[in-house]
Amino acid sequence: MIHFDNVTKVYANQNRPALDHVSVDVDKGEFVFLVGPSGSGKSTFLRLVLKEERPNSGSIHVAGKDLARLSNFKVPHLRRRIGCVFQDFRLLPNKNVYENVAFALEVIGKPRRFIRKVVPEVIELVGLEGKAHRMPEELSGGEQQRVAMARAFVNRPMILLADEPTGNIDPATSIGIMKVLDRINRTGTTVLMATHDAAIVDSMRKRVVELEDGKIVRDQSRGVYGQAY
Amino acid sequence: MRANFIFSEVWIGLRRNLTMTIAVIVTVAVGMALLGVGLMINSQVSRLTSYWTDKVELSVYLCTDKSPFPACKNRGAVTEAEKTSLKQTIQAMPDVERVEFEDQAQAYKNFQESDSNKLLLSVTRVEDMPESFRVKLKDPDKAAAVADSLSGQPAVSRIINQRVLLDSVFGFMGKLRNMALGVAILMVFAATLLIGNTVRLSAYNRRRETGIMRLVGASNIYIQLPFVMEGLIAGLIGGVFAGVLLIITKILVFEGIQMYMQNPIGWDTVAGVITLTMVIGVLICVLASFITLRRYLRV
Ligand SMILES: Nc1ncnc2c1ncn2[C@@H]1O[C@H](COP(=O)(O)OP(=O)(O)OP(=O)(O)O)[C@@H](O)[C@H]1O
Ligand SMILES: [Mg+2]
Repeated sequence: MIHFDNVTKVYANQNRPALDHVSVDVDKGEFVFLVGPSGSGKSTFLRLVLKEERPNSGSIHVAGKDLARLSNFKVPHLRRRIGCVFQDFRLLPNKNVYENVAFALEVIGKPRRFIRKVVPEVIELVGLEGKAHRMPEELSGGEQQRVAMARAFVNRPMILLADEPTGNIDPATSIGIMKVLDRINRTGTTVLMATHDAAIVDSMRKRVVELEDGKIVRDQSRGVYGQAY
Repeated sequence: MRANFIFSEVWIGLRRNLTMTIAVIVTVAVGMALLGVGLMINSQVSRLTSYWTDKVELSVYLCTDKSPFPACKNRGAVTEAEKTSLKQTIQAMPDVERVEFEDQAQAYKNFQESDSNKLLLSVTRVEDMPESFRVKLKDPDKAAAVADSLSGQPAVSRIINQRVLLDSVFGFMGKLRNMALGVAILMVFAATLLIGNTVRLSAYNRRRETGIMRLVGASNIYIQLPFVMEGLIAGLIGGVFAGVLLIITKILVFEGIQMYMQNPIGWDTVAGVITLTMVIGVLICVLASFITLRRYLRV
């Protein structure tokens, strides 16, 4: 599903690579934690999957497509198959829950009938039934993140990228967020989550890829956050 | 493509930048109106030119008894012998197509018809009118040369080259046209900058929306269309105002001077000019939006 082959990324005006000869394979339906200290290249990894950034060397395949050969014209179609969640939610403050989720479908030209059918389903899936008409400011952080997850998942992506989705949320609420991510993963969606949250990684017992200074220092199935000696 | 989604975005965008939008509309309206006026003057000049080219003549006036012109000093009115010889001289010139003699009675009649000054008419007598030869040339461009060679002839008081009169009228209209076009270009330039600024503001205001649109895989067209439509609508409204200004110009100015111009431009010309300025206005707005978009909206 996601295939990095010897990928190196050096940002302009930086001499140290953000990713340094990274090779990794993520299969369809996997749940993978991307861990590592701040600045180790986790977000860069996710941006490369989205083709928001281009690698300086190495090749990246996502959903069977070589990103280097993917024309700019086709990048939106790649992104339609990838959902994204971030630490800062990125909701539209002037739209309610329903509208925020529907927005993702409207802007890719989905018919209104389809939108009316799937949006309530997804809102229920993330556990926000009854709150469809709340504005983002009327929701807690955890609920806002659920809206963001609903929006990321509403188009049934093959891959869900989550960049520190629990970064702004207290540990108790984070468990709920992880349950939603797990539920999404069980529908067959590949989930790739960058995080600092040791407790979550340890409790989930999923595959863990650890980065340090842009290099993969550990790749462990059913791993934990800290180095397991 | 969801049309109502795009339109609601466009409407929000236009309203959010209302002052900028008004500035764009006014600039486009004035710029396009001036461009249209320039084009209308242009087509008026070319109509007049083609109307007059085959009518241009030289008027060779002959001395009367009391002619005040220096060439007639110390001599009386033109004699029959002089007329005959002058007519032969003119006819012999290679550039001359035909010569007609206008006698005093005819001249007086023409004068009565053309001049509305009652006082002047009442004190002017038939004997005061000069006789003249009306010289039609094969090539109107040769008028000056022919006039030169005739001006030294005996009993010729003065020569009026209609061509020179027309040239000064055309020259004046040409200057007007150039001024209108010059200001139009400046306005177009200003409009481009204004549109650029509006789009930049719009892109900044909508950065959250466009960021999410990129993320969920909206196509570039979908992301850019609301901005380009803002430019398009501002351009269209400006174009409509320009069209109204052009219609007013046609009624007030071109109809007003119609009595001096035997061949005024018609409404078909005005319609053509309005269409052209509209198309140009809209194209400029759309292009300006599109170009600034590339700079301020990462896609
Ligand atoms: N747009 C950018 N331009 C230049 N350098 C960048 C850019 N984005 C990231 N970097 C650099 O690349 C390196 C990796 O950054 P990245 O954001 O991938 O780290 P991270 O693992 O996500 O960190 P954090 O846990 O703090 O989010 C860092 O040294 C960072 O300074
Ligand atoms: Mg990061």
